[in-house]
Amino acid sequence: MGRAQYTIRRILQAIPVLLGVVTITYFLMEAMPGDPVSIMLGPSPSAQQAAAIRAKYGLDQPVWLRYLNYLWDVVQLDLGTSLYYEVPVTQKILERLPVTVLLLVSSFTFAIVTSIPLGIISAQRRNKPTDHIARVVALLGVSTPSFWIGLVLIIVFAYQVSWFPATNLVLPWASPAEVGVDSQFDVLVTSLHHLVLPTVSLGTLQMAALTRIERSSMLEVLGEEYVKLARAYGVKETTILRKHAFRNAQLPLITLLGLQLTSAIGGAVLTETVFSINGMGTLIITAINNQDFALVVGTTLVLGLVFVVGVILTDLSYAYIDPRVTFEDAD
Amino acid sequence: MSEPLLKVENLKTQFFTEEGTVRAVDGVNFEVNEGELVGLVGESGAGKSVAAQSIMRLVEEPGRIVDGTVTFDGKKLVDIVETPDGRMEESDEMLSNREMREQVRGREIAIVFQDPMESLNPVFKVGAQLREFIELNRGVSESEAKTIAVDMLREVGIPEPEARYDDYPHEFSGGMRQRVLIAMALACEPRLIIADEPTTALDVTVEGQILDLVSDLQDRYDTAFLWVTHDMGVVAEICDRVNVMYLGEVVEEAEVDDLFHDTKHPYTEALLRSMPRPDRSVGSLDPIKGVMPEAINPPSGCRFHTRCPEAREACKEFHPEYHDVSDAGGAPHSVSCIKYESVGYEHSDPLETEATGAFAGGLADMRGDDSQEAAGVSGGEVDE
Amino acid sequence: MATTTGSDTDSRTENESQPVESDPEQPAANVGWRYTVSQVRRDPTALAGLGIITIAMVVAAVAFLDQVVLPVFGIEQYAIAQAVWMSPNAEVAPQLLPPAWTTNVFGEGTWVHPLGTDDRGRDILARVFYGTRIAMSVGVIATTIALVFGMLVGSVAGYYGGRIDDVLMRAVETLYAIPFLVLVIVFMVAFGRNLTFAMIGVGIANIPTFARLIRSRVLSVREEDYIEAARAAGVRDRNIIFRHVIPNSFAPVLVQATLQIGVAILIVAGLSFLGFGAQPPTPSWGQMLSQSRDYMLPDPWFSIWPGLAILITVVGFNLLGDGLRDALDPRINN
Repeated sequence: MGRAQYTIRRILQAIPVLLGVVTITYFLMEAMPGDPVSIMLGPSPSAQQAAAIRAKYGLDQPVWLRYLNYLWDVVQLDLGTSLYYEVPVTQKILERLPVTVLLLVSSFTFAIVTSIPLGIISAQRRNKPTDHIARVVALLGVSTPSFWIGLVLIIVFAYQVSWFPATNLVLPWASPAEVGVDSQFDVLVTSLHHLVLPTVSLGTLQMAALTRIERSSMLEVLGEEYVKLARAYGVKETTILRKHAFRNAQLPLITLLGLQLTSAIGGAVLTETVFSINGMGTLIITAINNQDFALVVGTTLVLGLVFVVGVILTDLSYAYIDPRVTFEDAD
Repeated sequence: MSEPLLKVENLKTQFFTEEGTVRAVDGVNFEVNEGELVGLVGESGAGKSVAAQSIMRLVEEPGRIVDGTVTFDGKKLVDIVETPDGRMEESDEMLSNREMREQVRGREIAIVFQDPMESLNPVFKVGAQLREFIELNRGVSESEAKTIAVDMLREVGIPEPEARYDDYPHEFSGGMRQRVLIAMALACEPRLIIADEPTTALDVTVEGQILDLVSDLQDRYDTAFLWVTHDMGVVAEICDRVNVMYLGEVVEEAEVDDLFHDTKHPYTEALLRSMPRPDRSVGSLDPIKGVMPEAINPPSGCRFHTRCPEAREACKEFHPEYHDVSDAGGAPHSVSCIKYESVGYEHSDPLETEATGAFAGGLADMRGDDSQEAAGVSGGEVDE
Repeated sequence: MATTTGSDTDSRTENESQPVESDPEQPAANVGWRYTVSQVRRDPTALAGLGIITIAMVVAAVAFLDQVVLPVFGIEQYAIAQAVWMSPNAEVAPQLLPPAWTTNVFGEGTWVHPLGTDDRGRDILARVFYGTRIAMSVGVIATTIALVFGMLVGSVAGYYGGRIDDVLMRAVETLYAIPFLVLVIVFMVAFGRNLTFAMIGVGIANIPTFARLIRSRVLSVREEDYIEAARAAGVRDRNIIFRHVIPNSFAPVLVQATLQIGVAILIVAGLSFLGFGAQPPTPSWGQMLSQSRDYMLPDPWFSIWPGLAILITVVGFNLLGDGLRDALDPRINN
C-alpha cells in the first residue's frame, strides 16, 4: 500500500540531506589553508602560469559562484577532475566504490549473521555461563578499536601463519586474467580469501553491538503480554521464540543498523588503510592529504549517498516488519 | 451438587525478591462449577491476578507456586505435597509442563488478559493470531480454523469480520481488541475462561458493551468464567457467585445477592460503602481508611485488622479460619472473620486504629485525596 | 505518577526525590544521586569500570602536569617522568626491543623497558602511559562539547516542535550523514591539524547522538503533568526547559555520556592512526599503532600494547555506562 509512496518520500527527504553534505564539505574545503595553484605548479609559479591555471579551474571566481557552478555540475553527474590523479573524479570513484561497498556489505552480513543467533542464545540462557561469555565477548567487541583488530589479525593469521593474505581485496567479478588465476571460480575463491580478515576486522564492532541489542531486545519481547498470551494458549516454547518473539525483537536491531552505518563507513576508512585496500576510504585520505579539492568533495558526496541509501534500506526493512510504520508518519 | 469444574485448595504462591518473600497468594480456596460465572474481587495487590495465573501455571520467576492443589475436571493442575522430611514438592499426579501445554492451556482453560493493546502481537494480522490458536487447540485444519475465527469475530460483534480478519491490531479500537481476545478465548471452546480484569483498561461505555456481550455468550455457550476484577459494579452485573480477596486470602464467598445484602465480612462491607452507587448520594461515600499493606510482611492475626472499623484486640492475635456460615438450607456462604468464631471477639476491647475512629474524627477529612486513592476500589479506577 | 512541583520555585530538591516510574521505555526520570550511587556500589562490574576510569584519570592528570603545566613554570617537560623512570621521548635505548620476557631479532628484552621499545628507541611503557592523557582529554572534552550543544539543540527542537524541530533535526541529520571520520579529518585539515581541533571536531561529530537523545526525552517529558502545571502557572518556556525538562532527562544522558567518552576515545585513536591527532613527538596510542605497522612482522609486540591500552580504557567506560544504565532503569533490574 504505502510502500512505494514511503520509499519515494524517503528518497525525497534525502535530497536536502545530500545537499547539506555537499555544502558543508565544500565550504570546509574552501576554508582549508593552502593554495591549490602552488600545489600544482610548485612553490613559485610565474604570474602567467598561475593565472592560466586559475582560469582553467575557475579559481578566479568568487566562492558562492563556484559553489553554484559545482552544484550545477553535480546535477549533471559531473564531479570535476582530480588534481592528483588527473582523471575525472567520477572515474576514480567508480573504480573504488565497488570495493568499499563489497567490504561494507560483507562486514554487515557477517555482523548480522553472527549476532542474531548469539543474542538469542544469550537471552535464552540468561545468566548462565554461556550468557556471561557472550556478554564479555560483546563488551570487548565494542571496546576494541577496529583497526587494532585488523593489525592483530594480520599479525596472527597472515604473518605468524599464512592462512590469509594481509592486503588487498579482489572483486568477485574481476576477470581471471587480472587476478592471475585460471578460472572465474578461482577468482571467487581468491576474492573470499582476501575478504575474510578485513570483514572480521570491520565487522566485529558491529557484531558486538548488535549482539547486545539482540539480547536485550529478545529479553524484553519475551516479557511482553502477547508472548504470555501465546504461552497461555499452549504454544510451544520453540514456536514462541521463532515466531512470536523473533520478528518483534529485530526492530531495535534494524534501528541500530541504521545508526551504525556512519561509524561503519568511518571504520571502512581505517580498515582499508590497515589492509592497504584500494577503496573509497584510502581514496579520500589521499585526496585530503593532497588537497585535491574536487576529489574530496566528490568522494564525501558519494559516501554520503551510500549512507543515505543504507538508511533508506533499513527504514524499508523496519516498515516491512512493523505494520504500524507505514500508516503513522515516520519521524 | 456434583464435583466442581475447578477446585482450588490452599493455593500459595510466593515471589522471592531481594526485599523479601512476597506472599502474594497465601492459602486461597474457591471453586467454579460448570457454566458458572464466579467473581474474584479485591483491591490491587490482593493477589487475585496471581491466583488466576497460578491456576494456569503461568507464574514466572521470581514467583513460584509453593503449596496447594488445583483440580480441574479431575486433573491435578497443581498438587504440591509435603514430603516426609518437611519439604514441599510436586506430587506425581500433578500434570507436567508438557501436559499442561497440550491438554489444558487454551484447550480446556482459556485466559483473557487485562490490556487488549498489549495482548495482541503488533506485527501479525489479527486473523492469523486467532487462527493459530484455534488450529492448535481444536485440532482443525487451517481453512477450518479460519472459518471458525471469522464466525467468532462476528459473534462478538465485530462488523465485517472477513475484512477485519486481515487487519492488524493497531487498526482496532480498545473495545474491539478486547472483543477479539474474547473471541479468541471462546473459539477454542474451553470449559473455563479466566478473565483477568478484562474491562479495567476500557472506558465505561465500552465496558458495559463487553459485559453485555459476555453475559449473552455465557448463556449461549455455557462456558464457566472466573472473572477477576476490583470493580464491585462489574461484580453486581454479571457474577453468579463472588469471592472477595484481601492480601492473599479469600475473606468472603457468597452468591452475588447474598454478598450485597447479607454481607458478613467487614472488608466487604467497607468495599460496598466506598463504592459510588446510583441509589446513594456522593455525600455518603465512605472510603476505606489506610492502604493495603505489602504482602511481604502481613499484619498478625487477621490481616484486615489494621483497617477494620470493627477491629478488636482479639483480631490481632487470632488468624480467622475460613468456614461456612450459611443458614441451614441456604446457599453456601463462607467467611474468614473471628466475629463468627468463638475466640472471644465479643469480650475483647476495641482496637485503636484510624479505621475504628478512635482517633480524632477530623483526620479522615484532612487526608482527603489520599484516602480516596487508598481505597483504590471504585467504579473503574485503574491501578498498577 | 510524577511529583508535582507546583510553580517555579527553588525549593525543588531533586536529590531527595524517590525513584519515580515514568515512560517504561526509558530510565526513571526523577532519580536522585543517592539512589544511583547505592545501586552502582552494589554492582561489581560497574565498580571495576569506575576503577579503571579513575586510574586512567590519575595517569592522565600526572601526564598533563608533566607535559603541559611544568613548562609553563619554566620546568623542563617530562621532568617528573625523568625523575621517576624516563622520558617517553628519550631515544636512548636500542630500537624495537621486545617486552622483558622475550627476545626478537633486534635483541633481548630487559626489565628496564618492560614493554619493549619503539622504532626510535623510546620506552613503550612510558609512551603508553603518556598517551593516556590524549585519549582522556579528547574523550572528555569532545563529549562535553557534544553534550552541551546536543542538549541545546535537542531540547529546543523537542520542546517547540513544528518548524523549529524540522529545521534543527534536518541539520542534525545532515551532520550525521557525513561519515564522522571524514568530517573530523576535513575539519582538521581546514582549521588546524592539532589536538584542539581534534577535540572540537570529534565533539561536533557527536552532537547528533545527544541531540536525538534529548529530543526524544523532551518529547515524552513534555507531556507530563507537572510541565502542564508549570506552564499553566505562567512559567516562561526558557525556565521550563532549564529547570524542569533538562533535569528530568538527565538519567539517559548520563548513561550516554559515559558510553560516548569511550566512543570518542576510539575515534581519536582512529584519527591518530591516520595521522590526524596529536602531533609527534607527543605520544598517543593511535599514532603508536600507526608507527608499529611497519614492524608488524619482526616486532609484533609493538602493535599490542597501545591497542591494549585503548581496549582497557574503553572497557572501563563501557562497564560504568552499562552499570549506570542498569541502576537507572528499574525494569531491567527485575
